[in-house]
Amino acid sequence: MAEPSAPGRSFDEEALPHLDTLYRVALRLTADPTLAEDLVQDTMLKAYRSWRQYRPGTNARGWLLTILRNTFINDYRRRKHEPVAMDLEAVEPHALYRSIQETDPEGSFFSQIVDAKVLEAIDALAPEFREVLALSDIEGLSYGEIAESLQIPVGTVKSRLFRARRQLQAVLYTHAVEMGYIKPRETAP
Amino acid sequence: MSRLDCEQALDHLQDYLKRELTPELVLEVRVHLDRCRDCAGYARFEERFLQMLETRARREICPKELRARILAALRAEAGGS
Repeated sequence: MAEPSAPGRSFDEEALPHLDTLYRVALRLTADPTLAEDLVQDTMLKAYRSWRQYRPGTNARGWLLTILRNTFINDYRRRKHEPVAMDLEAVEPHALYRSIQETDPEGSFFSQIVDAKVLEAIDALAPEFREVLALSDIEGLSYGEIAESLQIPVGTVKSRLFRARRQLQAVLYTHAVEMGYIKPRETAP
Repeated sequence: MSRLDCEQALDHLQDYLKRELTPELVLEVRVHLDRCRDCAGYARFEERFLQMLETRARREICPKELRARILAALRAEAGGS
């Protein structure tokens, strides 16, 4: 009989607008559409049941994402083995830019790569990298919000992000070269 | 007057692009980028990369069927168990 004190309307108003964000982050965490759907549904039900713990007017998105993350860690992570983390050393910040500086300084080759390939490249990142990348660069959370949600220092958020972007750029560049969207730089003698 | 050299400016670039810098540092980075073509080119590249990422990845939205399933589950929950 433990019926929540009819959180009904305000839960709908505060939580439902974040469904797209929850779904995208779930996709990145699980790298599996079916698991992602179950994870979002479990998250919403848990959030509903503990709605009384949410303080109105605070950061509902962050609160929901924390529930999503904890649910993922506790119930989902072991169900599917993680994709092998890319064995690619983080390249120098400039390395990619230096090699396209003359042929394509604005990186317009990125726009030739199809969405599916971009998402595939994100999902191939090590889990802790793709998580911060999804939260920061895709969903637009601040460093502070991410640090709080993941319980890690802001400095760690920044270094993971930095390496995640470098790796992603390197993978997309390699793909673009393979597809002929961009010419590889001649190796200078 | 900016005192940032290229290395310092690039150290701040990611935070600059993510709007996580103090207004004073934002100004200093801008002054450097206005004066240094090389860093400005690199900054533009990084900015475009971030825009591309956001645009591409945000096209994915919660499927209608999932939304409906969640709403139904929430209604069932609210209906009392």
